[in-house]
Amino acid sequence: MKSIVTGVAGFIGSHLAERLIKEGHEVVGIDCFTDYYARSIKEQNLKGLLKEPGFAFMEANLLETDLSKILIGIDCVFHQAAQAGVRASWGKEFEIYTSLNVLATQRLLEACKDSKIGRFVYASSSSVYGNSEELPLREKSLLKPVSPYGVTKLAGEHLCYSYWKNYQIPVISLRYFTVYGPRQRPDMAFHKFIKAILNGEEIEIYGDGKQTRDFTFISDAVSGNILAMDSDAKGEVFNIGGGSRVLLNEVLDSIQKIAGRTAKIVYRDVQKGDVRHTLADTSKAKKYLGYNPRVNLKTGLAEQWKWLKKLGDLGI
Amino acid sequence: MAISKELLEILACPKCVRDPGCTGELEYREKEQQLVCHQCKLIYQIKDDIPIMLIDEATPLD
Repeated sequence: MKSIVTGVAGFIGSHLAERLIKEGHEVVGIDCFTDYYARSIKEQNLKGLLKEPGFAFMEANLLETDLSKILIGIDCVFHQAAQAGVRASWGKEFEIYTSLNVLATQRLLEACKDSKIGRFVYASSSSVYGNSEELPLREKSLLKPVSPYGVTKLAGEHLCYSYWKNYQIPVISLRYFTVYGPRQRPDMAFHKFIKAILNGEEIEIYGDGKQTRDFTFISDAVSGNILAMDSDAKGEVFNIGGGSRVLLNEVLDSIQKIAGRTAKIVYRDVQKGDVRHTLADTSKAKKYLGYNPRVNLKTGLAEQWKWLKKLGDLGI
Repeated sequence: MAISKELLEILACPKCVRDPGCTGELEYREKEQQLVCHQCKLIYQIKDDIPIMLIDEATPLD
């Protein structure tokens, strides 16, 4: 099996490519190193993969590159590439989000029309739900994203569905619920919390800390992708969650326990675009993909702590 | 590890590949670790075995 992973230098993309290689797949990785966070971090993510004989990498932009040529001989496309970040997607920056999240997805799907791929897995996000009144969130829940980022991810999902309906591209969209673990992006909450504790700095919480999230450990998110590749479902959307609803304040308690240190916490105003609660109903993914999240928050947080501590010790 | 033959086969110049009648063909200069598009007169560098296929990063071919 040969797969393409777009956004391969990112948090989820790099872990996914590693799992594919480990399972004996060949992987072509693409990344354009958007400047949302430091290039050096993404290069670090790729370090192990670049030594793998089954891995080929090109630095390329999906908006420019000849995708039809790259798709020759490819069995599965994992489209992980995107401009990340809910809070940064307002204002002038939105143009970047429409380019990298909507146009790039459309270009890739268009190229897939003439290819023989067996599966196209699209990385969507729980942000497509917005502030739903109904919890847990089901795939059929009303979609009302409250951030421009969420709007672009939803547009990507709709594009996938359109290309499935009209051109039979076998798409599956996975709605990730706050993925965390080693290599989590530096702008994401757990990363910032742990780093602040390690450096003895203040932890900033947007809101009262009583917002709840469904957190998904990276290895579970990766498993969701592998299961999607192997499944017969087509044109479908699945929630990929961690299986439990946790208060942000509880997360802080857990991190402090793991660290054996007390954090200085400052509560700030809620940021525009932030969702109050998320909780995934993953029964559809369980039924059709066999998805079953395995890593609980405590174990996952300890893994992320270990990784960040090691980076700190190495001065990275 | 040198850049693989398979990877070289799927690379094309992103600038001209969509032009009618153009395939975006690239010349691989192994010694210099460069990919050259003679149509656009651009050089794409290969750094640490990674081809940088970005138009903005390409340099003009003298």
